[in-house]
Amino acid sequence: MIQSVAIDWNVIAPVVVLVATGLLVLVVDLLSRSAPRQLLYGIGIVGSLAAFAAMLPLRGQELTTFGGAFASDSFSWPFDVLLLLTLTISLALSCLGKAEDGANPGAYAALLIFCTIGGLILAGATTLIGIFLGLEELSLALYVLAGTGYPRRSSQEAALKYVLLGSLASGFLIFGMALLYGSAGSISLAAMSHAAYAGGPLFIGGFALFLVGVAFKLALAPFHLWTPDVYEGSPLAVTAFMAVAVKAAMFAVLARFAYVVFGHDASALVPLWILAILSMIVGNVGAIRQTNLKRLLAFSGIAQAGYLVLALAGVGRGGVATLVFYLAAYAFMNLGAFAVIALIGNGDELHADLSAYRGLAFRRPMVAALMMLFFLSLAGIPATAGFIGKVLLLGQAMGAGPWGVAMAVALIVGTLVSFYVYFQVIWQMFAPADAEAVASDGNAAVSWVAVAAGAVGVLLLGIVPQLLLAHL
Amino acid sequence: MMIDLVIFLPAIAAIALLCIPRDAQRALRGVALIGALATFVLSLGFITGGFGNEFDQRIPWISGTWTAAYHVHVGGLSVYFVLLTTLVSVAAIWGAFSYSDAGKLRGFLALLLLFETTLLGLFTAADLLLFYVYWDLMLIPVFLLLVGYSGSAEARSAAWSYLLYNGAGGLVLLLGVVGVVLHTGTFEVLGQTYSFGTLENWLFAAFALAFLIKTPSFPFHAWMPPTYTNSPPPLVAMVSGVQSKAGLFGFLVFALPLFPVAAHTWAPVLLVLAVASIVYGAFAALGQRDMKTLVAFSSLSHLGLVVLALFAFDLTSVPGSIVMIVSHGLISAALFLLLGFVEERTGSREIGAFGGLAAHAPRLQALMLVAAMAALGLPGLSGFAGEFLILIGAWQTQPVYTAISLIAIVVASAYVLKMFQAAMHGPESVPGGRTYGDLRAREIWILAPLIAGIFLFGIWPGVLLPGGGSLTGATPAHTVALHGQRPHA
Repeated sequence: MIQSVAIDWNVIAPVVVLVATGLLVLVVDLLSRSAPRQLLYGIGIVGSLAAFAAMLPLRGQELTTFGGAFASDSFSWPFDVLLLLTLTISLALSCLGKAEDGANPGAYAALLIFCTIGGLILAGATTLIGIFLGLEELSLALYVLAGTGYPRRSSQEAALKYVLLGSLASGFLIFGMALLYGSAGSISLAAMSHAAYAGGPLFIGGFALFLVGVAFKLALAPFHLWTPDVYEGSPLAVTAFMAVAVKAAMFAVLARFAYVVFGHDASALVPLWILAILSMIVGNVGAIRQTNLKRLLAFSGIAQAGYLVLALAGVGRGGVATLVFYLAAYAFMNLGAFAVIALIGNGDELHADLSAYRGLAFRRPMVAALMMLFFLSLAGIPATAGFIGKVLLLGQAMGAGPWGVAMAVALIVGTLVSFYVYFQVIWQMFAPADAEAVASDGNAAVSWVAVAAGAVGVLLLGIVPQLLLAHL
Repeated sequence: MMIDLVIFLPAIAAIALLCIPRDAQRALRGVALIGALATFVLSLGFITGGFGNEFDQRIPWISGTWTAAYHVHVGGLSVYFVLLTTLVSVAAIWGAFSYSDAGKLRGFLALLLLFETTLLGLFTAADLLLFYVYWDLMLIPVFLLLVGYSGSAEARSAAWSYLLYNGAGGLVLLLGVVGVVLHTGTFEVLGQTYSFGTLENWLFAAFALAFLIKTPSFPFHAWMPPTYTNSPPPLVAMVSGVQSKAGLFGFLVFALPLFPVAAHTWAPVLLVLAVASIVYGAFAALGQRDMKTLVAFSSLSHLGLVVLALFAFDLTSVPGSIVMIVSHGLISAALFLLLGFVEERTGSREIGAFGGLAAHAPRLQALMLVAAMAALGLPGLSGFAGEFLILIGAWQTQPVYTAISLIAIVVASAYVLKMFQAAMHGPESVPGGRTYGDLRAREIWILAPLIAGIFLFGIWPGVLLPGGGSLTGATPAHTVALHGQRPHA
């Protein structure tokens, strides 16, 4: 017998607003094929801000709907904000003159919005089905977006690679979920914690497969191989979105899973700690030889995902606050860096090449200084968000037993390697230009807004972290 | 407020510079010099009424599972470091006027001023996290100056060894710093005593490693020769004159008071490293042909003496180390600036490539003579005062190590005289037959305060000794030596 499910519309208001925005974009695009893309992306940005407004009353509340399957609580709230921020900045960067959108701005904007909806669902999902639903919503749209750089071949390659490997990951994930359901007899995470307590091969197998799926999406080593190619091939604004939004959404899932299922005993999470250590090494070492900033930031993202796992070390108190803080730092510094790449080339792909930055400090000092700020933050240099984030991560990990200490040491070693990576970019900007430099005189106002947002975030969180910490 | 002003005035001047057009040379020079001079004059306020004044300011910064405060403090030990920084910075920034092509002068001066701010921040930090913030921030201006403003491929590659060595030290220190806060719950650890248990040895090791890399000490000095040799003279004057004291300051103010037991446990290791630095540095200096590299290695040797002094835990040697720190800062800054003036005139700094400058540049020779004699420890100049106090003191507790270190004093005379003679005496020869002039008035004024300091502290080292020269009164440095605690006074 089918029961009707009571829906609390307040709880899903942000999602509803975004769905409406996405549909509106499609309708406008349909009615007027000649609508300028700035208009479509503008609608998207306004919708994103409206969704944020719809979230404001939900702050600090612990609500659920769909029979407890979807939550809007103090846990999901910050993740939702980060997702909307990322959407806004990505749409803004898509407005630039040379930004790629596959000559189909309506579909492009709608897909970005649907991606974000997937992310919101992931952040609020409290059941396995919810997680899968959100993940597929996010992934399917991203597979298409990765290919919107068409006819650029690397973009087609990115889309194909992403869809093949992403589907494989989804396969792992759903098979793992099936086993978890078998062991717990329920799809809710809360029920899973009893199964975790009891253990048993079904649960262990299920969790292992689940973890593989999540690690794929988070690009944790050794499941990271798709990342550099997909990041490099996708259009700039999509890469920026991918780097931040996917990580935020998937970490929301991982953190909720860890705290709900393993809150009493984190010992089963050792494989996750090992993945983190591997990621910090593979990501930072892999980034060393990259000469394309999108690839470099892809490897950096692998390493940063490893750092973020430290927040969950021991599933200890303050872990979620640390996770959210570092994710916010990560969002600001990554979006800022991508925004600078978009700024100087007016959105083209050419300026992802490291050689474009040679001597930039003397041609465009302000832009170079801002780019340096973002890379210093990625490297964890003080007075930036990345530094405070790392201190919090280290504090979380070092108090969490031997595995925590091992991860802390890996973070330190990885960070040292990453100095060589991030300072390479700074080095290029300050070294004298030998040949004639790539023209880099893009100056669009909208990209300046994105850069400024990143810079303000990085500096505020770095100098007065209490602004955010007090609310976590 | 006073402290904040001193710390951030150079940074404000740097920002002001960036608002001035790149080609307004006069304005750029004026603002930079006024910024540095004003900072120096203000910092003199810390000694009005004598050393031992306390300046303190505290603003809560971060609270949560642990707390940190923006807590700055001048008094006790830090005042020496602050004054050294502001004085050397004036010389360096003034000296920088001639070391950069016109288009890059603005950035060069701004970065030197920012560097000064990070150094001042470090020496005034009374909160471990704040200390760490500046410890790491220091890397950035130096890295940028090496990459963008030194004009040579060697300098650009030296930037990497500088960054990676010091970055590695910083990251190990970060582990130690977080380790401390997990135990104490707060980063404001000064003046408190904690028992860290078995962890203490590890924490001290992390701090010590970072401090030894920064100083540097054998065997962590590999970054130093390329960095010092390839830096423009004003930069190396600040790095060698001031930044090299950051690690020693860390020992005096943080590591020794926080981990007194571990400091004694590790002392044998540190003493061996100190003596190795002293002896190795001296002999390595003797073998150099490049004068800057020679002075770099002599730095290694002289700062090894300071480490020896600290870990001899003696009532005379620890205050002596303060004299040595200030003295070395003045001498090495003066020497590197002088070598810069020499290189400007001869186009070379290689021993044997030129000589006999005394004939046409008597003033250059005279100032070089003072700095060189101070470096080799001639009585009456500040180098002697520091070395003498350290050796007398260390002899009481560590006679063997002190005896070995004496070798270096002899070798120091050899390499300093070798350099001085090669440059100044003998038949006059300059590569390519360049013509050159004696020191100009500006160059003399740049050096004057440094040389004056060398004389002053040579004749009257008591002015630098905590407690006004009395070796018996209880002073901050003594308390460090005796109890391993930093008093708040």
